[in-house]
Amino acid sequence: MRILVVEDDAVAAEYVRKGLMEAGHVVDLAPDGDLGLEMARAAEYDALILDRMLPKLDGLELLESLREDGDSTPVLILSALGEVDQKVEGLRAGGDDYLAKPYAFTELLARVEAIGRRSDPTAAVTKLKVGELEMDLLARTVKRDGQNILLQPREFRLLECLMRNAGQVVTRTMLLEKVWDYHFDPQTNVIDVHISRLRGKIDKEFESPMLHTVRGAGYRLQV
Amino acid sequence: MLNALSKLFRNTLFRLSLLGTLLFTVSVLISLAYVYFATISSELRRVDQELIVEMDQLQEVYDTYGPGTLRQLVLTRIGAKTGAYELVVSADEMISNIITENEQRIIEMLKETESLIFEYNQIQAVTGLDENGREIIEETESRRYRARSGYLFNALGQPVASLVVGKDVESLRRTADRVRNAMITSSLIALVLGLLSSLFVSRRFTRRVEAFNRLATDVRAGQLDRRAPRDYSEDELDLLAEHLNAMLDHIDRLMKAMRYAGDSIAHDLRSPLTRLRTRLESSASEVKDPKAIDSLYAAAEDADELLATFDKVLRIARLEAGEQREMLKEMDPKTVLTDMAEFYEPACEDANLSFELDAKDNNFILADRGLLSQAVSNLVENAIKYTPEGGKVRLELYRNKANRVVVAVTDNGPGIPATERERVKERFVRLDKSRTAPGSGLGLAMVDAIATLHKAEFALEDGMESEFGPGLSVQIIFPRRRQLRQAPAEKDSE
Repeated sequence: MRILVVEDDAVAAEYVRKGLMEAGHVVDLAPDGDLGLEMARAAEYDALILDRMLPKLDGLELLESLREDGDSTPVLILSALGEVDQKVEGLRAGGDDYLAKPYAFTELLARVEAIGRRSDPTAAVTKLKVGELEMDLLARTVKRDGQNILLQPREFRLLECLMRNAGQVVTRTMLLEKVWDYHFDPQTNVIDVHISRLRGKIDKEFESPMLHTVRGAGYRLQV
Repeated sequence: MLNALSKLFRNTLFRLSLLGTLLFTVSVLISLAYVYFATISSELRRVDQELIVEMDQLQEVYDTYGPGTLRQLVLTRIGAKTGAYELVVSADEMISNIITENEQRIIEMLKETESLIFEYNQIQAVTGLDENGREIIEETESRRYRARSGYLFNALGQPVASLVVGKDVESLRRTADRVRNAMITSSLIALVLGLLSSLFVSRRFTRRVEAFNRLATDVRAGQLDRRAPRDYSEDELDLLAEHLNAMLDHIDRLMKAMRYAGDSIAHDLRSPLTRLRTRLESSASEVKDPKAIDSLYAAAEDADELLATFDKVLRIARLEAGEQREMLKEMDPKTVLTDMAEFYEPACEDANLSFELDAKDNNFILADRGLLSQAVSNLVENAIKYTPEGGKVRLELYRNKANRVVVAVTDNGPGIPATERERVKERFVRLDKSRTAPGSGLGLAMVDAIATLHKAEFALEDGMESEFGPGLSVQIIFPRRRQLRQAPAEKDSE
């Protein structure tokens, strides 16, 4: 993916650039809001990483100008302001996702890849398929290798989220937000417990495991 | 009525001005009394002196010219229709033979009392004779006399007649009466006016003081934008309002500065910490030594923990500032609890705890889903953390005896001693002295802040008793909805 990072902290920007490049993405950097807007208008990007507090042009203002132009490039807003209301504000301004500093780079990577992929505006998907695992979103059924797997409603949503981001890391926080709509960090390993339940249903009786734990990051569903 | 009276007497200003009124009335009385004595009494003493002189003169006339002349003189004097004539009477009719009933009465009195000075009222007078020769007696206005009695002595020093010398003091007496009436009336007027003005002043003052009290209550409730009303009269209350407003402006500025500092610290401190974390992470991906990888990841996790604690402190501070109060919406907490139960049930099962949800229907409250979830999550996690294996955790929603909606998390673990229950709500307070168990000691502080934001009570009680201890029941007791609705309405009506 081609990604534009608008961030005034040069060191942080450099680390983000380096990390994203290592993950195989093309990265441009913009140190302030004005330049960021200019660059975003000049070239086609798959995703934008936007700091909220920027010199010259505030991150949210940049985003609003961009959306007024009809530009629908997916935007991940980065901010030190982690409050839920700030987050709501960011998403309302046209952001696709919101990440509070400090974040783990893996979290940033997972989220950028998730919104970059989402930009593909194909018609409503009714079926998801990852290897031999199939999910019918209308009938609410899951099959692996032709065998029916019975899931609780929440387990179904958990698997759906993992399947939509198949091959990519999905972090615990992303799952917490997307599956449960919780915006706080539980102290206990409660997400792991849910994952191990799901794993017990989709992986246990099969030879090759599909649901992997990624150290220090989250989970990945892949063949 | 009685209540209103006792309230009035509890009013400092009313009491003060009432005291002032009483003092003023007394001083009016005293000064008028002085006027009275200074004028009327001295005038009466002068009359008494004149009467003594008159007596001596009459004795002299008797001595010099004999009884005939004296009688003549006395008759002339009696006849004189002046406002102040002497009256001379004698018991043996030697001097005067026109004795009216009144005068007769005086003579009787004289014999009995022998007193020197007295006053009497003349209440009737003979104005003439009718055709049958009978006296026409007419009621006249009563006239008061100041009189002196004594004896007329002959050359041998023997008393020959009793003598009464009097003077009409009616006008003086009337003046005295008027002064007395004026004293009473003006005292009464002073008293009534004083009372009225006390009432007026104290009510006006109380209204303004009450405005200050309301202001203080509002500010304490987090409405830092409220200011005291001013009338720009520059009186002391207006000046107090000015100073109070200046103080509130200052507090407001400080609060904003503190919040700004908080945000700035959040921004400035989080950025380097983010970098630190990123460095650790990227180093972990570069090195090959598995031991180094482990310690780098562990360091990154420590940084996460540090940041999470910092984040929580800031969140609690924001909650306590009450900014998010407008986010509260009317909702049934049952859905929140059902979601929570589903979220934590597997974790409870893994920890070998039995988990129960008992949520009653139709208990609407004003709350924020996210904050309520956060609070319940903290409580359930505490219960999971501190209840030994084989224990029970129960999540409940019900109405208590006071008809208030309660969200409670109850366990049968070791519980918290009653003496520690207030302390554990504070930040960074942890009961295990060693601080070995994971956690920051901020969980209950955050629940407390969330409860306060919802105007709810946060109570800790004994839970389900078991072999592990008395258990713990943590309750968030929401206010009745009527109270919640009234709060903003009060604000609007002002």
